Amino acid sequence: MAMLEVKNITISYQNRPTVMDFSMSLEKGQICSLVGESGSGKTTVIRAIFGLLAGGGKVTEGEILFEGESLLAYNKEQWRRLRGSDISMIFQDSGAMMNPTRRVGGAYTEYIRTHEKNISKKDAAKKGIEMLERMRLPSGDNVMRSYPFQLSGGMRQRVGIAMGMTYQPKLLLADEPTSALDVTTQAQIVRQMMELRENYGTSIIVVTHNLGVAAYMSDHIIVMRNGKIEDQGDRDYMLYHSENEYTHKLLEAVPSIGGKRYV
Amino acid sequence: MFDEKDLILEAKHVTRRFPAAKGKVLVANNDINLKFYKGKTLGLVGESGCGKSTFMRFLVSLDKPSEGEILYKGQDITKLKGEKLRQHRQNIQMVFQDPAQSFNPKMKIRDVICEPLLNFKRITPAQKKETATKLLEMVELPGEMQDRFMHNMSGGQRQRVAIARALALEPEMIVMDEATSALDVSVQKTIIELITKLQREKNITIGFICHDIGLIQSFAHQVAVMYLGNIVEVLPGEAIGTEAKHPYTKALLASVFDIKMDFTKKIESIESEIPSPLDAPPGCPFCDRCDQCMEICKKERPLLKEIAPDHEVACHLFSGKDGE
Ligand SMILES: Nc1ncnc2c1ncn2[C@@H]1O[C@H](COP(=O)(O)OP(=O)(O)OP(=O)(O)O)[C@@H](O)[C@H]1O
Ligand code: SF4
Ligand SMILES: [Mg+2]
Repeated sequence: MAMLEVKNITISYQNRPTVMDFSMSLEKGQICSLVGESGSGKTTVIRAIFGLLAGGGKVTEGEILFEGESLLAYNKEQWRRLRGSDISMIFQDSGAMMNPTRRVGGAYTEYIRTHEKNISKKDAAKKGIEMLERMRLPSGDNVMRSYPFQLSGGMRQRVGIAMGMTYQPKLLLADEPTSALDVTTQAQIVRQMMELRENYGTSIIVVTHNLGVAAYMSDHIIVMRNGKIEDQGDRDYMLYHSENEYTHKLLEAVPSIGGKRYV
Repeated sequence: MFDEKDLILEAKHVTRRFPAAKGKVLVANNDINLKFYKGKTLGLVGESGCGKSTFMRFLVSLDKPSEGEILYKGQDITKLKGEKLRQHRQNIQMVFQDPAQSFNPKMKIRDVICEPLLNFKRITPAQKKETATKLLEMVELPGEMQDRFMHNMSGGQRQRVAIARALALEPEMIVMDEATSALDVSVQKTIIELITKLQREKNITIGFICHDIGLIQSFAHQVAVMYLGNIVEVLPGEAIGTEAKHPYTKALLASVFDIKMDFTKKIESIESEIPSPLDAPPGCPFCDRCDQCMEICKKERPLLKEIAPDHEVACHLFSGKDGE
């Protein structure tokens, strides 16, 4: 049985279907990318899996099974326990999600203490520092004392990953985790996410518009268009064998060093 | 490839300092020398905070350097004031990353596009409709769109409107700051196709800021690589993949995810963080992240030197005309 099984789901905002008949499955330790133009429904899909659809969004048809259990039947309390421990999410700019007036340390220890009711503040802080350093943030205690704006985009993203990985979730959902970053930082973060799989067997679904990143990271790539799956397959199929016109269009648009020039 | 008689704008020894906390000084641009040629694109690439926008703002007279000159057709535009400056602004126009935020949301597209022309009394209000139609068609949008508002257009359409507005005054040069960074790759491609087509038709000079070296090399004639406020390499766009010499340029190239890359190799990346411009090293700005750093690099700042025609590098590994 696959770890995650999404079966023919339809997701609607205010009764208007936005994602239709979407299915995917993911094994332990697999990485899958969702690619496609903005507005094609990528974020909506992973938010549905995380039970966190914005703007009154609802899964109106289909099933989402995580380790065989139907997530759509979960109540609030069950969701709360699942999020952050078995399934985590990281966002495009983790910094923007953090309260700008609070030090990273305050937010992080509080996060730990909502998941572990009996842990002391001191131990929670220790755990936080340890996670930050594991995500290769030098001097974790310094980061804990910083306000989000005092960290670079790459450092903030690492804090986001560290928080998301605190309880070694089985499934990590990442929404454009590197889109706001420079190429050098992007490469660091992508490497780090791949190491999560190597070290902890984490399964990852990553939403990205960067086909190079998708091809590099994933075992499976799903191309979405207008709320539906347009094409899917492994890297080899996507890059060299797909005959889908839309996939070709997306591939041709990727600027390639030594590739097509416009002047 | 670049003919001195086509030189249209030249930055000479441009430095910009900002006062920072505790009496420190932040050097955002350090002794920049760059040349822009008629009908050509210069792409300025580098990591966030390296000083790209700081530099481009001088070209459109939004800021002045602490030192140095910006010569437009031989005249130092940093000295212009009042009406002369106002008139000069028609020559160099700017396109920003997010046009939705740069314009009043209550304005119709027609007014967004025609505003600069009205300001300079180049058209009368009665000519607005006809002018907007013409300009929208130039950027391949239907003329009827002029009755819409910015917020109900897609990102790509907005960027086209911003380009139409910038070109309305028929400037000699446009400066684009991350103008396609917020767009999907397929939309980004159509915008690049549009600006290169307009450039060919109108012989416009373009200054393009971007942190994506893969994108910039696909359409820039010249690429300048910036690091911590310094230009470390300048070379022809088509030569990037094969001729780049500076260790920083190479590191940037190695960290690009390309669909033609070798997927069996691990992606390379510079593991350390970029230092703060407040603590820039005294010698080569890249020395504490460079794996070829030598003793001299820590003490002496390397200057840009020509190592081949149209190719300059600032690195102690390349000290003479013979390179290597
Ligand atoms: N008005 C200002 N006052 C003080 N410091 C400034 C000012 N403008 C820019 N800086 C500083 O100068 C440096 C260069 O900034 P700049 O905006 O030019 O970078 P950039 O290369 O355009 O970055 P990005 O890719 O993130 O847009 C940064 O350290 C920035 O904080
Ligand atoms: S000057 Fe030295 S430190 Fe700087 S890039 Fe060249 S080799 Fe590296
Ligand atoms: Mg900038």
